[in-house]
Amino acid sequence: MKRLILMLLSVFCLALGGLEAGAQDKYPSKPVKIIVPYAPGGATDIAARILAEQMRQILGQSFVVENKPGAFGIIAIEEMARSKPDGYTLMIGNVSTNAITPVIVPKKFSINYDKDVVPVSRLVDIPAFLLVTTTNFAPKTAQELIDHTKKNPGKVRYGHVGVGSYPHYDMAFFAKRAGDLDMIAIPNKAGASGVINDMVTGDTQASFLNVASTAAMVKAGKLKPLALVNYARLPDYPDVPTMKEIGFADVGTLAWQGLFAPGGTPKEVLETLHKAAVQGLQAPAAQEAFKKQNFNIVPNKSVDEAKTWLAGEIAAWKKITSQVKIEVAE
Amino acid sequence: MELLQNLAIGFGVAMTPVNLGFALAGALVGTLIGVLPGIGPIATIAMLLPLTFHLEPVSGLIMLAGIFYGAQYGGSTTAILVNLPGETSSVVTCIDGHQMARQGRAGAALAVAALGSFFAGTVATLIIATLAPPLAMVGQSFGAPEYFSLLVLGLIAAVVLAHGSVIKAIGMIILGLLLGLIGTDGNTGGSRFTFGMTRLADGLDFVPMVIGLFGLGEIMVNLTQPGHTRSVVAKKVTGLWLTMQEFRQAWPAVLRGTGLGSVLGVLPGGGATLSSFAAYVFEKKVAKDPSRFGRGAIEGVAGPESANNAGAQTSFIPMLTLGIPGNAVMALMIGALTIHGIQPGPQIMTERPQLFWGMVASMWIGNLMLVIINLPLIGIWVQLLKIPYRVLYLSILLFCGIGVYTVNNSTFDVMMAALFGVLGYIFIKLECEPAPLILGFVLGPLMEDNLRRAMRISSGDPMIFMERPISLGLLIAAAMLLIIVALPAIRSKRAEVFQES
Repeated sequence: MKRLILMLLSVFCLALGGLEAGAQDKYPSKPVKIIVPYAPGGATDIAARILAEQMRQILGQSFVVENKPGAFGIIAIEEMARSKPDGYTLMIGNVSTNAITPVIVPKKFSINYDKDVVPVSRLVDIPAFLLVTTTNFAPKTAQELIDHTKKNPGKVRYGHVGVGSYPHYDMAFFAKRAGDLDMIAIPNKAGASGVINDMVTGDTQASFLNVASTAAMVKAGKLKPLALVNYARLPDYPDVPTMKEIGFADVGTLAWQGLFAPGGTPKEVLETLHKAAVQGLQAPAAQEAFKKQNFNIVPNKSVDEAKTWLAGEIAAWKKITSQVKIEVAE
Repeated sequence: MELLQNLAIGFGVAMTPVNLGFALAGALVGTLIGVLPGIGPIATIAMLLPLTFHLEPVSGLIMLAGIFYGAQYGGSTTAILVNLPGETSSVVTCIDGHQMARQGRAGAALAVAALGSFFAGTVATLIIATLAPPLAMVGQSFGAPEYFSLLVLGLIAAVVLAHGSVIKAIGMIILGLLLGLIGTDGNTGGSRFTFGMTRLADGLDFVPMVIGLFGLGEIMVNLTQPGHTRSVVAKKVTGLWLTMQEFRQAWPAVLRGTGLGSVLGVLPGGGATLSSFAAYVFEKKVAKDPSRFGRGAIEGVAGPESANNAGAQTSFIPMLTLGIPGNAVMALMIGALTIHGIQPGPQIMTERPQLFWGMVASMWIGNLMLVIINLPLIGIWVQLLKIPYRVLYLSILLFCGIGVYTVNNSTFDVMMAALFGVLGYIFIKLECEPAPLILGFVLGPLMEDNLRRAMRISSGDPMIFMERPISLGLLIAAAMLLIIVALPAIRSKRAEVFQES
């Protein structure tokens, strides 16, 4: 038993990388914690772990990823915002946690999001497909989907990962733009894989989902991509037009991930982190890992630009949520 | 012959020294974290994930898989010895396994768990190798209505799980269902029973609940009984191996558990969790003398342990062939694969035979290693029970605390575990079984989710459950079970069964 305890302790010490590095002046002089608002294994967690490894190499301190899932990201955001603004507690969030949550459930926060959270930089964004199932479903283009839905009001069901999630807004917005289509939303708590399963079994017919998680099913012919939410067509899918090409330029979310710090973090620290993050994203290992999943690497040019960008995102989501009424009970 | 060819490819990959090493490392780490109560495979795999970035995908996957089923083995060890289920799957092992340990038969319980798991693992590996593609199709025909009907059947069968009074069992299931309601409503986004606490927005967590109800409650009860403060085991440890009679009782249960587990594991979304519960219920049903259950029946260990291992193995089928994770560990493995740009899906077997068959072969090798690691360790684990309880319970408490914290890195969860510990103590005093509560808690939200989804799909027409053949079949089975239970002739016998303890 004693040996067991010793073994466990040594594993923990290794994992924490020795917290007792002496405090020196130059940032960073001790390990930095990056909070991730999701359980391990998802896209945001993996992006955070890839970047943490690069930042460790660049800044010479370990960047420890800590998962604090729950409550649409509020738990993670509040923990980061409340910690000392010294650059040793950061967070990597995404469009859902750091733009949509503050817009649709502001009352659930006990902090002032606009003041207590500052962006360091946007990191990557993730192309998505507008897809339909091939199980008992005929439409093969966006126009066919629209026509089919108009002929069968209330018969086409779309999947999303939760009330008020961006795939929910995306499809609701698409339906509105295409002429107030009558579609039924079916949530699945199990995330993207649950939504995919619902489509494969034929329980739902359509959805917006990111390219990386649907690639295998698209290849197997179980799902059919109708359009792509991205800046341009992807080399792997030369036949799939962008949303802009099919006339829905403003529909669909390019889900981003960004690095955030507590409000009041010194400018020099933010600059150091921004530089390291941008450099980390350009490292060959990171480039390769992100490219394999079709992520776009899209850092902000400066800390100031990051602020403008986040303000723009929040404003955009305020606009979308006022145009597409989805009731989210407070 | 294609099967042999495929297996040859697989063993060719899995038997390289590097991959053998990773399988061994995974199995060892898995056993270790499994034995430490509460420290689950999820936290461990998450910590080791960055390591796999630099490995060959197949090596990384072999190691992570080793941790996963190593933890299953280790989890049963603590369930049997100190009544602490490390995983959902070992909750039922506590019931009879720990009773066996109390009667001095810990060695036999551990041996049957290890051997049953190995047998189940071997069979499940063969099933994956031969039946993965057709089984994946079964998973694809399971939509919301089918799932709902399966859960109805499961819950009705579960009433039999209790070994005390039926009223108490139903009460506990309902309490579990109610606890499962806490959190965010899936269809409206509204909060239910959260009392404005953001921590409760995603509902209660499973780990603090079982650690509290089973582990902490048990510790409190032990401490209030002066006779038990010296060691967990009241009687002297008699023999580390199975007796002939125990062997004869156990092997049919192993066969049944393996069959049940293999089938249920294939269902995407929690099928494997069901398997150990289902196997326990089934064993109790077919037993000549069901009153032995809850008092150290070896079938009550052999069946569920085989079932959970078989289920854990076959849950790789939806993960590898459909990219659909059956549990959090599978989700992590998909994460590990996507880093390498591999998306698990229907194409994986033909496009990456090395990876797929290498995994399958390494599963069997990993299971073999685990038996070899675990059988000699039984003697050591049993020695553990001789540690004075005043020392043992403190270390159990410490590891429970660490384990609960690391799931979500949340101190709130530690408080919840303490709260459920008090509740667990009260339940033991009231002679209420916590297992049905856990079942209600796990199955309730799944049932609600699938019911509401099915009703939305059918625009509110309940006939959807009758129109789908699989769903109809499951409902008929559930109805038959109810009729059997309600028949007067059987009722009198059943009353006997339930009232005896």
